[in-house]
Amino acid sequence: MIRLASRRNSAVFCLILAGLFLLGLAGCGGGEKEAAQPSGQAEPVVMAVVTALGSSEGQDSLRAAQLAAEEINAQGGISVGGTKRPIEIISIDTREHEAGVPVSDALAALEKIITEKKPHVIVSGAFRSEVLLASMDLIPKYKIPYIINIAKSTKFEEKVLSEPEKGKYFFRLGSNSAHMAQYLGGLLENINQQFGFKSAYLVIQDTLWAQGTGKAVEGWLKEHGWTVVGYDAYPVGASDFSATLSKALQGKAQVIIPVFDMPQCAILVKQARSMKVPALIVGRLAPLVPQEAWDVFQGEIEGVVCAVEEYGSVPVKAAPKSVAFVESFTKKYGEERARKMIDHGVGASYDAVYMVAAAIERAGSLDPDAVSSALQQTDMEGTIGKIKFGNDHQAIYALDPKEGAIGGAFQWKAPGVRVPVYPPSVAEGQIELPSYMK
Amino acid sequence: MIESALIYGLVNSLVILLTALGFSLVFGLSGIANLAHGGLYIIAGYLTWILLKRLDLPLVVSIVLAILVVATCGALLYRGVIRPIKGTTWSEVVSTYGILVCIVEFFRWRGFITYEFSLPPFLKGGIEILGVSLDYQRLCVVIIGALLLLALFLFSHHMRLGLALRAMAQDELTALSVGIEPNWTATVSMALGGALAAIAAVTLLPMGLITVNLGYDILVIALAVSVLGGLESLVGLALASLLLGYAQILVSTFVGSHWMEIVYLVAIIGVLIFKPSGILGKFKELEERV
Repeated sequence: MIRLASRRNSAVFCLILAGLFLLGLAGCGGGEKEAAQPSGQAEPVVMAVVTALGSSEGQDSLRAAQLAAEEINAQGGISVGGTKRPIEIISIDTREHEAGVPVSDALAALEKIITEKKPHVIVSGAFRSEVLLASMDLIPKYKIPYIINIAKSTKFEEKVLSEPEKGKYFFRLGSNSAHMAQYLGGLLENINQQFGFKSAYLVIQDTLWAQGTGKAVEGWLKEHGWTVVGYDAYPVGASDFSATLSKALQGKAQVIIPVFDMPQCAILVKQARSMKVPALIVGRLAPLVPQEAWDVFQGEIEGVVCAVEEYGSVPVKAAPKSVAFVESFTKKYGEERARKMIDHGVGASYDAVYMVAAAIERAGSLDPDAVSSALQQTDMEGTIGKIKFGNDHQAIYALDPKEGAIGGAFQWKAPGVRVPVYPPSVAEGQIELPSYMK
Repeated sequence: MIESALIYGLVNSLVILLTALGFSLVFGLSGIANLAHGGLYIIAGYLTWILLKRLDLPLVVSIVLAILVVATCGALLYRGVIRPIKGTTWSEVVSTYGILVCIVEFFRWRGFITYEFSLPPFLKGGIEILGVSLDYQRLCVVIIGALLLLALFLFSHHMRLGLALRAMAQDELTALSVGIEPNWTATVSMALGGALAAIAAVTLLPMGLITVNLGYDILVIALAVSVLGGLESLVGLALASLLLGYAQILVSTFVGSHWMEIVYLVAIIGVLIFKPSGILGKFKELEERV
């Protein structure tokens, strides 16, 4: 009797697990982490993606790096001191984007892949700034060139400048938190000129990077004579924004400036529409960036002006490599996957592989110091615009892709098109007021 | 501003109530602290999305199927995991929390991490109440929350099955002596808890996005409300939801939105210090011991 009951229990539990497994199979195809395999006989140049692979940014960064490696391998690989060698992409999930995962765990993952797989270069590094800053004490021990595409703190540049011996292996291709504030400032200037808007309400995610951007934008607004109707910071996980929207409504804010990357910020946009707040939404809303966002939100995002961290995976004609990259990505991973692609870090990861390959060829060896010196001399056209580094090892961001890397903003327009609107060098349309504001 | 705070405070209260209802009910009716509640919630959300978007089933059919499946999951969870360890509270807590982690990490592993998982609202559009615009989905939250609360109160206080479930929660040996079968009642209450988690998911998720970490977030809210209201009291749960819902909106409106989430923690700490059994909790033993 007992054995029968035990068997029945086991069967029931297996059923639950089987059901969950089927549920997963029916869902997305995410989770694959295959490496780009070397094609030739020569020993491969090993490039590592060491970031939060459970995040959209991390997953797509890995895919972008694999795509670049395959393209280079198809051309015969990298010439290292006269020998053609293929690229091998390896990866490890640091899980640093998950709440509660300590910096030490992410560092342990980094050290594990370094000691076990001995990569020559890390082409996509830390997701969180704390992890990046801590890595800057660890990496010099192993002497590995390290490219950052996602972590945004400007303390990185400070550390590179103050501790050049440690900082010499590090280069950031992705934008930092100050760049976003600069692009938003220019964008608001355009909005002021076009519509005469002069009052704004800031609503910010209560995290370090968003607060940094928010405070910088607030300063810009005050400096340029705007009225700041309000400034609210919401903790991660907040799911009701009615208080802010009521105050924005009462204060007659003409522009609402959100700065968020948490998924719940989608509620803010939907709630603003349902509360009929007659304000233009202009800001950083990560879930609204992918192409598929129009369908996900059933067109309720029409008129929202979305800040872009880096063009690249959001293609613009003014940066032809971004268009080619998205086409190649779509061809390799399918349209459904490409429509989910986020902006931050993805184009930069693709560029990083090309940039490192070029630096190794210039250095003529895999010696980390020689490769780092060659990286500092980078001057190439990438998906994110022209790539050059300042003395602080941060890629130079500009308003024109011919002068530097670029971020900016696009506006969602019917029937689900992302129209680049800022900066003017990449704009493919004008900002239009959504129907509820006309 | 006041009108808005009043209306959205009520909506927020009902959101909190719906979130916690399944967890509180299972504890009240069977004495099981089902920490896998958040996991059942996200299973319902993702399952509805899959049925709707991948299998192209109508919204109503997807919702009904998701509720049935998650209710079954709740029952199976009891039969497969909780029953062998029933009575040892710590084992129950650790096991159900383990199941929650398994569910959340399973979805993470399968790549449910993009921003595409969103459910459509039951009805599009909205109305004006006291000059404040309110969308139909939030109105549905209020109506469904209130109806569920009423129905569950009637079920647990005036129907034979509900009374049997409560009897089992209050004193298992006495309930056994009058012929109430404990495993059967616990299975029913877990199924009911699963169904309530699913109803909450399909009602609340159209307002935002479905994400894996919701599994943990939902559990924190459910614990805070249940501890504040009293773990086995439906009326206490309603009072706690109103208290927390309005406290959050008022804090957000008049103090600062970044203090919103702290309201939950303050409530838990406050109630543990001043009234450990919760507003209307009946665990006198605990109160006396403290």
